[in-house]
Amino acid sequence: MITIEDCLFEAMSIPGALGAILVDHASETAVATRGMSDPERSASGLSEAFRAIQTGLALSSPTGTVRIDDVIVTTDQGYQLIRPMDTPFDGPLLICVQLDLNRANLGLARHRLQSISRQLIAS
Amino acid sequence: MGDSIEATLTSLADGGATGALRAGRAGTIYLHEGRVCLVECQGTPSVEELLTTSGRISANGVRTTRQAAAGDGGDMLVRRGVLTRGELQLCVLGATLDASFFLFGMAGPKLRFKDGDRHWLGTYWYFDVPALLLECRRRRARLDRAWPSAELDGKPVRPVRRIGSKHVVVSSAQWEILLAADGESTPAELAKKIGLSAYATLVAVRELAAADLLVRPEPEPKPEPKPEPQPDAVLPRRTDRSGLRPGLGAPSHTITPQTTGDPTDVNLLIRLRDALEALQ
Repeated sequence: MITIEDCLFEAMSIPGALGAILVDHASETAVATRGMSDPERSASGLSEAFRAIQTGLALSSPTGTVRIDDVIVTTDQGYQLIRPMDTPFDGPLLICVQLDLNRANLGLARHRLQSISRQLIAS
Repeated sequence: MGDSIEATLTSLADGGATGALRAGRAGTIYLHEGRVCLVECQGTPSVEELLTTSGRISANGVRTTRQAAAGDGGDMLVRRGVLTRGELQLCVLGATLDASFFLFGMAGPKLRFKDGDRHWLGTYWYFDVPALLLECRRRRARLDRAWPSAELDGKPVRPVRRIGSKHVVVSSAQWEILLAADGESTPAELAKKIGLSAYATLVAVRELAAADLLVRPEPEPKPEPKPEPQPDAVLPRRTDRSGLRPGLGAPSHTITPQTTGDPTDVNLLIRLRDALEALQ
């Protein structure tokens, strides 16, 4: 049972984490953030990226539906981890973590992010 | 005419006020030491409604907690295991941002500030007033990016019977709206029915409109001034829309349509511009 602030704190304690942000997907609102230089732009960009992936995968999947557990993007700067969380009250939230390319352990980061999202929202 | 909600709120925030600012029957803004902690708006799902539609607690359960609460109703709910503290924060945050968006833009409600008034739930999130006003503006821009016309915002949502393409991709929110649409409910009413924020519902409705999945309302007939009948006209008279051949008619006439300040014209121009930009 953790608060929004704890959730961000936990995300930042993932080895290699450079920044973390909680985004309301429908409105693209930056709900809470740590270590991000321009949260508003990040929130909007990450929401767009997630929406594009969701639409693209739905079109390419044979059943036509897709449920994304998380998205991992490797860039020349590092990793981007995006995890959608269903909330009982409104549309999904995205928790996104920026990770250092050399210091991060992707498997561990994924696992930690999953457990953080489960602690924030009891589903 | 009183002051606008924004101006009153800003001055209350500067004074570090604690209490409730009631905007007639339209809604209430709760402040704690100059920061907003909760906003309610008549047209958006309240915290109570979100709690009950989420299925976590019955309407009766909310009522009894509310009656027993002395400004700490939220803590009582958390202690009873209805929801976690994080979920409560998200619920308050979502409801407040949603209500602010629709309440702050309203003109003319009578404002009355009651010092020291608190919400039964307690305080779970703080919003700085300038940041909250900025967020409302950002949300307005986001809405216009999805579909730059407000023509469907207040009308019943009516899905088209037949789609123009072979397939469409809809999000879960869009799917819920399409299923709940009964041809009579407006986006705000659908929001309360499916327990989604009014803003998220509006975004989804505009996205559906952009994807051509909603029936557009018929344009209201505009009383156009009839062209002067020409007594010596031998050819069949041209209709309004066909325009005049260059060189014909009064010299002040041009072949381009007359421009007006009509919002539908402006919206058409915006969409045209966006489409042209997308072509490049």
